[in-house]
Amino acid sequence: MNENHVIRCVRRVTKSLLNKYVILAAMLCSFGLLSAQNPDVKVTGTVLDQSSGEPLIGVSVLVKSSKQGTMTDINGVFTVKAKVGETLKVTYVGYAAQEVKVSSPQLKIRLKEDTKSLDEVVVIGYGTVKRKDVTGSISSVTGKDLLKTQPATFDQALQGKVAGVVVQQISGQPGGGVSIQIHGVSSVNGTNSPLYVIDGIIIPPSSDPGNGSNPLSSINPSEIESIDVLKDASATAIYGSQATNGVVVITTKRGKTGAPKITYDFYVGYQEVPKKLPTVNLQQFATLINARANDIYGGWSWDARPQFANPKYLGTGTDWQGALFRSAPTTNHSLTISGGDNTTQYLLSTSYFDQQGIALGSDFKRYSVRLNLDNKTTDWLKIGTSLQLAHIDEDVNSTQSSVIKTALDLTPDVSVKNADGTYGGVTNPSGVVQPTPNPIALALINKDKKLRNQLFGNIYAEIQFTKDLSLRNEVSGNFDFNTEDKFSPSYTLGLAVRTYNDASYSYGQNIYTSVRNFLTYSHSFKQYNLNAMVGHEAQLNTYQNVSAARKYFPSNNVTSISSGDATTATNDGSKGSGPALEAYFGRVYLSWNDKYLVTGNLRDDGCSNFAVGNRWVYTYSGAFAWKINNEEFLKNVKVINELKLRLGYGLTNNQGIPGNTYVTQLTSAANGLSGTSQFQGNLANPNVSWETTKNYNIGLDGTFLNSRLDFSFDIYDRKTDGLLLQVPLPIYSGTTSGPGNMAAPYENVGSVSNKGFDLRISSTNIRNKNFTWKTDLTISHNENKVLSLGAGGSDANLSQTNYTNNEVAEKTVVGKPIGEFYGYVYDGVFATANDFKTHALPVDQNGKPYPISPNAGGIWYGDRKFKDLNGDGVIDTKDQTFLGSPRPTFQFGFSNSFTYKGFDLNIFFSANVGNKVLNRLAITLNDPQNHISYFTSVLDYAKLALVNPNGSATDVNNVYVTNPNTSIVGLRNNATANDNNRSSDLFIEDGSFLRCKNITLGYRLPENILSKIHLYSVRIYGSVTNAFLITKYSGMDPEIGSWNPLQAGWDDGYYPQSRTFTIGANITFSK
Amino acid sequence: MNSINKIIIPLLLLVAIAGCKDSFLDRPSESQISSNNFYQTTSDLRLATANLYGGAAWWNWQGQTDPWLELGDVLSGNGFVGYYDQSGDLYAHSISAQNSILSTGWAGLYNVIAQCNSTITGINQYTASSISATDKNAAIAEAKFVRGVAYYYLAIYWGAVPIIEDNSTLIQNPLLKRNIVTDVYKFITNDLTYAAQNLPTTDVAGRVTTWSAQGMLGKVYLTMAGLGQTGGTRNQAYLDSAKLYAGNVCKNSGIELYHSYSDLFKAQFNDVPEDLFALQWAPGTGWGKGNALQTLAPNLGDIQGWSSMNPSYDLYQLYTSKDTVRRKATFMLKGDYYPELNAAAGGYTAGGQTLKKHIIGNAKDNNSPTMDIWSSIEHTALLRLADVYLIYAEAILGNNATTANADALLYFNKVRTRAGVDPDNIINIDSIYKERRIELAFEGQLWPDLVRLFYYNPDKALNFVNSQQSVTFSYSKGVATPGNGTTGAPANVVPATISSFTLQIPASELSTDPKLADPAVPYYK
Repeated sequence: MNENHVIRCVRRVTKSLLNKYVILAAMLCSFGLLSAQNPDVKVTGTVLDQSSGEPLIGVSVLVKSSKQGTMTDINGVFTVKAKVGETLKVTYVGYAAQEVKVSSPQLKIRLKEDTKSLDEVVVIGYGTVKRKDVTGSISSVTGKDLLKTQPATFDQALQGKVAGVVVQQISGQPGGGVSIQIHGVSSVNGTNSPLYVIDGIIIPPSSDPGNGSNPLSSINPSEIESIDVLKDASATAIYGSQATNGVVVITTKRGKTGAPKITYDFYVGYQEVPKKLPTVNLQQFATLINARANDIYGGWSWDARPQFANPKYLGTGTDWQGALFRSAPTTNHSLTISGGDNTTQYLLSTSYFDQQGIALGSDFKRYSVRLNLDNKTTDWLKIGTSLQLAHIDEDVNSTQSSVIKTALDLTPDVSVKNADGTYGGVTNPSGVVQPTPNPIALALINKDKKLRNQLFGNIYAEIQFTKDLSLRNEVSGNFDFNTEDKFSPSYTLGLAVRTYNDASYSYGQNIYTSVRNFLTYSHSFKQYNLNAMVGHEAQLNTYQNVSAARKYFPSNNVTSISSGDATTATNDGSKGSGPALEAYFGRVYLSWNDKYLVTGNLRDDGCSNFAVGNRWVYTYSGAFAWKINNEEFLKNVKVINELKLRLGYGLTNNQGIPGNTYVTQLTSAANGLSGTSQFQGNLANPNVSWETTKNYNIGLDGTFLNSRLDFSFDIYDRKTDGLLLQVPLPIYSGTTSGPGNMAAPYENVGSVSNKGFDLRISSTNIRNKNFTWKTDLTISHNENKVLSLGAGGSDANLSQTNYTNNEVAEKTVVGKPIGEFYGYVYDGVFATANDFKTHALPVDQNGKPYPISPNAGGIWYGDRKFKDLNGDGVIDTKDQTFLGSPRPTFQFGFSNSFTYKGFDLNIFFSANVGNKVLNRLAITLNDPQNHISYFTSVLDYAKLALVNPNGSATDVNNVYVTNPNTSIVGLRNNATANDNNRSSDLFIEDGSFLRCKNITLGYRLPENILSKIHLYSVRIYGSVTNAFLITKYSGMDPEIGSWNPLQAGWDDGYYPQSRTFTIGANITFSK
Repeated sequence: MNSINKIIIPLLLLVAIAGCKDSFLDRPSESQISSNNFYQTTSDLRLATANLYGGAAWWNWQGQTDPWLELGDVLSGNGFVGYYDQSGDLYAHSISAQNSILSTGWAGLYNVIAQCNSTITGINQYTASSISATDKNAAIAEAKFVRGVAYYYLAIYWGAVPIIEDNSTLIQNPLLKRNIVTDVYKFITNDLTYAAQNLPTTDVAGRVTTWSAQGMLGKVYLTMAGLGQTGGTRNQAYLDSAKLYAGNVCKNSGIELYHSYSDLFKAQFNDVPEDLFALQWAPGTGWGKGNALQTLAPNLGDIQGWSSMNPSYDLYQLYTSKDTVRRKATFMLKGDYYPELNAAAGGYTAGGQTLKKHIIGNAKDNNSPTMDIWSSIEHTALLRLADVYLIYAEAILGNNATTANADALLYFNKVRTRAGVDPDNIINIDSIYKERRIELAFEGQLWPDLVRLFYYNPDKALNFVNSQQSVTFSYSKGVATPGNGTTGAPANVVPATISSFTLQIPASELSTDPKLADPAVPYYK
């Protein structure tokens, strides 16, 4: 009795359910199975790996004539009914397919591993091509490879996997997005995101995926079969105007002919914050406050707090980061059933994913169902669908309420909870301490929930007119329905009092539809192969949204809008359509002798974003590939399996601006005069037109040493002209600063160049009977340079102000990369009398140096020195310089996988080199003058002392700094003249890092155990994600993806990526 | 069957493609109106110009960091804002080019100008021919009036600034040099003269009329009278112009002072005729579009500011014992009781010295449910008749040391008697400045007045700023004690210098447009 019995029962039930399903599937299909007419022999065979001799499990064996199929069991053994002389087709993922004649009832079949699956199919847009015949620059990632890092969303897993693609996480919030740049940054207006196409469904880019609403988070990564990244223009041109920044084509898994296959994957994990920042404890805090209040060298002489009189009697106080961050669980279950017969193949997948955030007030849940169907309706018609329904439930309160930044700002003398169990808060009545609300309370009592229902659907019909000519029609849609429910209760958190509560609720829907039809002709004439395609496509996006808000709810527990005070109701909403896109396109592919391959693309795109005269534009590209290994002189060189040279050129266009910027838009605004008024929302530019990119690419692909070494190398040169940009004009244009400005005009302002290379090497270092070791390396390098910025000439620049000090911190000018950090060069603190003699001083508005004095308006000991770069003897704006780029010069991915018998181990590293980060937290938390908390480094503030203790404390020759090597300013109250916190390299840190992104150890259960538990295959594994990080950066994490290339690399207290420990299992129930 | 389908299905698809005409790519906004189909009726023009009276356009100038008061009243020593470094630097005359109030003020005025320019362009380009020239010109005149006011503030605070009439030219040519200050004033008078000629004599409450424009012209000419003058005398021709326009408003507008000074600053009495130009704020606009002055309020129930504007000891001392109406309507002293503030809770009793003007209470007090801290419904006056009266008196005084001119005394004393203080028999520049400071305290006027003085008598202006006791004070039982206060003491004040009277171009603006550092160039060739 007992468990064996139970397992048998379960298995029996499963089996009967399965049988039912198969019958159902058979009924659904009008073309059932035909049984063989003559009695068959029972053929038994064993399938083995050719090199290791190990039996292969789950190999599909198909009798060609009868279409009867089976799979090998745990011993690699199969049994099938067939006649002698018939042909069996033996296929297995990762191995070359074989056809075997039934010569006897006992067969031994050896399959050869196909490491470089040359027959692997690559999606190239409106068609597919075999990997070996690709002419453009395309990288592919398999779904299996993606899953190794257990990503919540697939975009997070691309880092380091695809050469030429720089991936940086924007937020570690569950479901948070990444920024992806393919072959550099070619656009300055924020749309450097590639085009995502999932089973033919175009996913429009999200404006800010870091804060929830990442559209890509609806996709369950385990449903992905493969991802193809189209990088150069010769590959992307066919997608036309949306593809300038590359295309990421995602293909989901589909059913295959064969018996039903049931797999169940699950994992549970727990996540923790990898690093806490060194904030002061209560004793250190009290010591600093005391020192500041009592410092005799110009200290505050106030804000002494009696409770801090004796710091050593104080405890350590509140650890706000400790209170905010938690060990958070994550869980995933997915169940997939797939199979089919010759007529219909199906895949049904369901999944549930639940990730709590490591910061309180954040979590992400995804429920999804996918149904992919393919049906061969008649001998000339094929139809099918890809459908996915997803429900996303996100809590984004921690990001919306900025609780991470607030937790760093709050001082350790404030308690999380009072003795009576209520939430604590700032109680210091001095008023200098801002009554910042308790972030733990905010994280838990505020509500900001985003729900999203998303349907991706694609239906197709393919008509085969003749053997060579076919027409494919596709209708696809991305239907997104979302709500956001926010409630802010009234509270009393110490002195932070919110006297009222309010709520808002919004509903929005975005529907993106496209219709495309294309005709494909494919024919072989002797040594020529021709494939030609022409088509038409139309796409339309429509949106509608409405929101409502009320105040004064009778209770903080009743949060439905209707219970608020009706007289306080406000509402808003908008709707519209656009962009609308229409295109005619065509492609010709010709190969000669399997040696020379040529591809040409032409596309005519129309877009509603431009005024009538500028709407239509041509995109074109051409590529040539030479399969050198097929030349006579290499045919007999055994060491080379494949060698291919690719040359490509193309011109692509980008329309990535909002609609209707070419006319002035008037918005209704409340007004005390007439009830309403018409605010002019933008400065119109009727001449705005397409952004154009010319792209050259040279690539070399090679496979050597019996396919054990494989590489792909690309060099590219992209030049973008007519950069589309919402130009940050000077403030006096009325288009720059805060509310009340008009949206800046979109202009075609200049040109930018991206040059770089990328390399992927895969190598099988060791392969023998029990042990294999494979290594994959990707390297991406890009150099970005602005060539012109339009009308402004050499003075033109695009700059971003650092709001902590209202100074330019990042600047884009001609001759430099987009968005370089900008500011002064820090040069130590004024520490000796000699420093004042030898070092330039900052000047006032008349160019006069500020006096050397401890009084207000003076420069004094402990102030920061900045380098006089132009040598004019004073410090002014002319001493600013460029301080590095927020983008890495190199990004690496390095993966090693080992297998030993049933064990597999994968270790994956990713690395950034050369990027800088603006550590904005350090600006405030290292400033002893601020009114919030501090990093412990602030305790090393510049300490002043007197040369002659009886002398004057205001005599410049009688003072010195005892710790001259500090970079923290002194405690003097009136240190504003020097503007110590001006943008400088002191806050710009090296963001290079090496991250151990993932370590996974798996074990495939051996046959003797499997047979006992009656399962087909089981792999259990454990993994650590973000295992460790090696970096010089002092903040939490130097990986700061940015959506805006002009304001990249700013660390404002990012939601850190968690370290995650996971255990899980992949279970296949039946053959 | 099959072969028929094979033909029919593609044909259907071809029809579908043919259905995709060019109109498929026409996607005008469904939520907004485009300028090219607006301005079709007179009421369209009124909606367009209503936008220039408040809302987002004016947010930066009178919004969160509130340059209007910070520059007008903090820089000059009337008060200071607690616990706000940027404001403290203004108070201490230790202003760096990074000061955010500077850049917000600069941005705020140019945002107003951008809206005015676009309105004028839109009206000129698209107005339907069915609209009368009078209506069209009146609408343009409203925009020119507002633009003139914005440039007036720019000229006062920054002197030479770039003049922009058409923002769309910046798309091709974004980097401008500054224009010389005399041309900026000429531009202002051109705009205001156009407004005076084309605005009606009466309009609905809240809209500007010719009297608004003429009052403003009086003020601008009085300011110009000192520009470029030395030896303490002013240009008589400009003084005469000031006298003409201000006097015209005093005598011929038919408008009188409102009888109650304190009611002027209550929302129920918004837009009384005395308010020649007041911003028309609406409730419930959300952040960035409303009157945010109540962020300076004490705890009034649903309204509780996080900052405060505290009067200086120097300002406090100006009020005589009789001058209680204006004092109590301008700032609170500890113990003052205001029944109209938080009335539901029995009124408000001040716990310390803080601003009263612009503090109008909570949503219930004002019967305005959607009003919140970001959207006070007070219509803040930028030009009042009392101001024009005092301008008139000052213009008559002109270059004389004193005057007992009947008109000057009449209008000067109208201001005083309304406030319940005794009339004067003779007036001089000091009494006018004192009267203006009291009457117009916390209305953003003192620094512009000092700049006007500075133009022709810099020593006197400097002395005014540097000799005042601009410190906080404690107040108990009718006795004020100057001192550093117990909390939130302002930074040590450094003496103002000649250069203090021209603000720096904000650092970020200078970095964007280095040509602003070049010498100013003429605008009028």
